[in-house]
Amino acid sequence: MFRRVVNAIEVLAVVAVAVFIIMLFANEPGSGGAAASSPGGMIFSANCASCHGANGEGAIGPKLAGVVVPAFPNPSDEITFVDHGRGIMPAFATTLSAAQIRDVVDYTRTELGK
Amino acid sequence: MAAPAQLKTGLSTTTKLLGILVAGAAVAVALGVYANAHTPTHEKPYTLFFSGTIQLKVWLATLALVLAGVQLLLAARLYGKLSIPRQAPAWLGDAHRLIGTAAFVVTLPVAYQCLWGLGFQTASTRVLLHGIFGCAFYGVFVIKVLGVRVKGLPNWVLPVAGGLVFAALVAIFLTSSLWFFTSSSAPRPLF
Ligand code: HEC
Repeated sequence: MFRRVVNAIEVLAVVAVAVFIIMLFANEPGSGGAAASSPGGMIFSANCASCHGANGEGAIGPKLAGVVVPAFPNPSDEITFVDHGRGIMPAFATTLSAAQIRDVVDYTRTELGK
Repeated sequence: MAAPAQLKTGLSTTTKLLGILVAGAAVAVALGVYANAHTPTHEKPYTLFFSGTIQLKVWLATLALVLAGVQLLLAARLYGKLSIPRQAPAWLGDAHRLIGTAAFVVTLPVAYQCLWGLGFQTASTRVLLHGIFGCAFYGVFVIKVLGVRVKGLPNWVLPVAGGLVFAALVAIFLTSSLWFFTSSSAPRPLF
């Protein structure tokens, strides 16, 4: 009796694995993400979204959407922050050009959370 | 009572051993390739009844680890390394299967979130190691399960594979949940 239950549960586990694999491939989110079109958006998707979320909603790094302007009233302070990084947040001065950092900072201030 | 279905093959022991090793390695590599190739969605598809996706992952992983600890004890009794209870009940082997299955199923929602939402990352040593252990875990799990099903393997295969499954789970836990529990203030991930 117990063995039958265990057998049945193992079959269910195999079904769970099948669902797991199907969902890995079939379950793509809609076009989602504000990103892409603008240059700043593309830089954001490629360099920042992995930590701050596709829409700046926060993940490994804090939420950015709607909070960067109050946190850095002066855009150049945010640029300096992104240049230098802090803690887990990497410094981008060496990986992105000054123009790219300006674009992406602009993007975080104007497009995120729209 | 029939034993769980076993695969009878006319192959030599070495071939069988290689076969299950290759199958396990293929699973581990396939997960790594998926995690690397798939564009992370950075979405949180479900929280079930937890307060957030990261809580779900942390607690399910912890549960899996606890169940795996029970598995270690059950296996030790099955192999006579423990003698409590003095009479090993007849259902012990099935209990080991049941709890093992439960522990495995509990890891799936966690792994899904990692693979689908985050992907393979190298941002820090912890994250890198965590990803590698995660892929390795399912690889050795496959080896362990096939090791039960394929007949005529040397008898050290199961304890070694089982031990590796447990070790991989501990390594995953140390590079994720434990870190989460101990980093209460610093930037904690949301998923
Ligand atoms: C490796 C993960 C990671 C990446 C990649 C990353 N960040 Fe961050 N970011 C963080 C973390 C963690 C913090 C919090 C740092 C702290 O306060 O110690 C942070 C903080 C910030 C802040 C300050 C937020 C505040 O309210 O104080 C800004 C602005 C920011 N990041 C912008 C960016 C931009 C723009 C990019 C891409 C060019 C980026 N980040 C890439 C992890 C990351």
